[in-house]
Amino acid sequence: MRSGLKSEVFEKLAVIAGSISNPEVVRWKQQGGRVIVYTCSFVPEELLVAAGLLPFRIRATGSQSAGRADDYFEAANICSLVRHCFNKILTGEYQFLDGCVIGGGCDANRHILDNWEQSEARIPFLHRIFFPHSSGNLMAQNFRNQLENLKQLLEDHFGVKITNEKLQDAIVLCNEIRDLQKSLYALRKVDNPAITAAETISVIVAGYSMPKEAYKADLTLLLEELSGVTMPEKKPVVRLMVVGPGHDEPSLCDIIETMGGAAVTDLTCYGGKTLFGSVREADPDPLQALADYQVIDRPLCPKNLDAHPIINREVMNKIKEYRVDGLIGQSYLCCETWSGELFVLQKELKEAGIPMLRIEREYTSDSLGQVQTRVQAFIETISGGLL
Amino acid sequence: MINIFSQLMMDANKSLYGLTIEPQNASKGPVVLGNGDFFIEIPVAFGCAFSDLTLTGANGTALPTAAELIDKGIETGVGSRMCNAIKVACYYLEAGLIAKPDMIITSNSCCDSMTTLGILMNGYKPWADVPKFTMDAPHSFDEESYRYFGQQLRNAVTFMETATGRKMDWDRLREVCVESNKQRQLLLEFQELKKAVPCPADPDLARQGTEYTTWTFDRVTPTVTAWLEQLVTATEQRVKEGKGIDGVNEKVRFLWQDLAGSWASGTVLARLQKELGAVCIMDYVSYATWTPIDLTSEETMFTSFGKRFLLEDAMNRQALHTADLFCNDILQIVKEFKCDAVIMPAHIGHRDTNSRLKIVRDVCRENGIPCLIIGMDIWDKRYMTPDVVFDRMKTFFEVSGLI
Repeated sequence: MRSGLKSEVFEKLAVIAGSISNPEVVRWKQQGGRVIVYTCSFVPEELLVAAGLLPFRIRATGSQSAGRADDYFEAANICSLVRHCFNKILTGEYQFLDGCVIGGGCDANRHILDNWEQSEARIPFLHRIFFPHSSGNLMAQNFRNQLENLKQLLEDHFGVKITNEKLQDAIVLCNEIRDLQKSLYALRKVDNPAITAAETISVIVAGYSMPKEAYKADLTLLLEELSGVTMPEKKPVVRLMVVGPGHDEPSLCDIIETMGGAAVTDLTCYGGKTLFGSVREADPDPLQALADYQVIDRPLCPKNLDAHPIINREVMNKIKEYRVDGLIGQSYLCCETWSGELFVLQKELKEAGIPMLRIEREYTSDSLGQVQTRVQAFIETISGGLL
Repeated sequence: MINIFSQLMMDANKSLYGLTIEPQNASKGPVVLGNGDFFIEIPVAFGCAFSDLTLTGANGTALPTAAELIDKGIETGVGSRMCNAIKVACYYLEAGLIAKPDMIITSNSCCDSMTTLGILMNGYKPWADVPKFTMDAPHSFDEESYRYFGQQLRNAVTFMETATGRKMDWDRLREVCVESNKQRQLLLEFQELKKAVPCPADPDLARQGTEYTTWTFDRVTPTVTAWLEQLVTATEQRVKEGKGIDGVNEKVRFLWQDLAGSWASGTVLARLQKELGAVCIMDYVSYATWTPIDLTSEETMFTSFGKRFLLEDAMNRQALHTADLFCNDILQIVKEFKCDAVIMPAHIGHRDTNSRLKIVRDVCRENGIPCLIIGMDIWDKRYMTPDVVFDRMKTFFEVSGLI
């Protein structure tokens, strides 16, 4: 849903988020730049930026079918996010990429690499790193070792030298962007924000799809524009938070906002979960700083067995901070770890008197009719004070 | 007719009954509860009971009340596409049917469903005060990974010591490892004997032997060693006599590349063997690749533990790692055990298998191995009934010219 925002820079970012290849990627490639695609938010973009690459987080925007990927992944039993993304690879929509780093978070995700290697879309630089499934210094050290290995492979393949200085600069740049994105999120703390949730998603997604310096400049400009906008008084019926895995398209937020609610914040793999805290700057071992951030500091993937208390704490903090009336826990069919996480979270929220709606859905908008009915009923129930 | 093999099967099954809920709840403490495999020699040497809630759920699907239990698991509201063994475990947990353990040790081994059960166990409110320890099983198998996981197992010992106030008896651990090495060697010997044509003993004994050795309360005891010795001796005799399985006219040998689950062995696989002479030579759990635990030092022991857990534990080997290892195992088994075909049950709850079916199909095709992908639920026979699975396999063997 649109806020009525009139902004050239927003329109530019929305175009980038609305397709796979985009003018910024084309320009980057024309200038001889190289693009590396990655899956999962725990793949540290900082390392890719320090290698002089454009990190592009994989998504399947606009996908209507996973037909070719379904030869590789059994459609009924594998999550649609993985299948649709892999289908985009097979159909050539990621032709601009020069390499890929798979973040092997879940069983389906990590096998993208196996299937990609066997497919006609195979490319020379395909690598996989694994996010530890528990937290602690030993695991952070293990993750650091994986990053060291990835660094070496990037240097060898792309003929670059990733110095500590370059890594530290990349960390600073990504921290700055994270801070700007946090400011963007904070705009929705008020009842009549200058930007909707759906628009926010577009802005965030664009940040994973274009050169970082350019994005930082655009985001700074957008925030300046938004700071001067005053919106007419309009109190939403209910203020909702979305929790779950990758959430890179605005349809769910559109539904919430069309039904009179407001999606005021989220803890999702594409959104709020990536905006937590900062990576230590000027650390003599920047790889360790990156590993510590991903494995210990920030809200974790539920594939990590230590994740729940941290996710729970973050959800509770955001409920207070954003005056949340209820949660929508959305996951994709067959996403088992998020199903488990949301199952536990829902019980705890119930005890705390906070209503939560759980939705299992497909990545594409085909199943949104049912989602709309359920969201509508949820909003009506909360607003009627029945829960 | 009860022969030695039937007797051995009954003995193992008696012990496997211990994996259902009542005997597990009757365990004398301290009790460690896990969401999957743990390095079993450790709790045995430590003198505590270890129960695996995934196994308890899986064994629930073998009970006469299986359908009801699965439906109750669905009603808990945990993910609709979750593996049914996990749904039953979830029901047991949520219904308060599992005795409160003294410690909880969870890891991501070996699949997303089991990790999810770990999330549920760690987040289960009535057990909030139970000491918990989590482990990261890497999806890699090299010396560094073995050391990494071995270090975590060493830390698990410290955790258990802290939680119980007891101390690990390191001499006892060595003794247990010696017994364990002996048992794994016997499993390897039985596996070697299974290569004979016709297969000298019901191959399902390998699965039962592995489960008896690894999962039951008798594990790593002389009782199991004696059972394995009898099995090997009796099978050696059969090989010498050139005899196959009693009452089976072996025509087809096939690999079942998944778990047998709770109902396939007694229905589909038994029927195939008896009616068509189609013998399931190998499945996930049966495939033994054990190497001895290196007892030279504490460090070598734990690195060996890491290797056993990551690479040699049958389910971890097949589910945690790359498609390369998975496919190489298929080719190796087909070659060494003279299999005529590969059956991929493709259990609907196994995301890892369902993510590499094309690779398996292509590898089999390139190597001229007939391959059938089914897509069944190994825990819930209502999804695809035994008769349907039997018919599909029979048709496949017919059109492949194997029968």
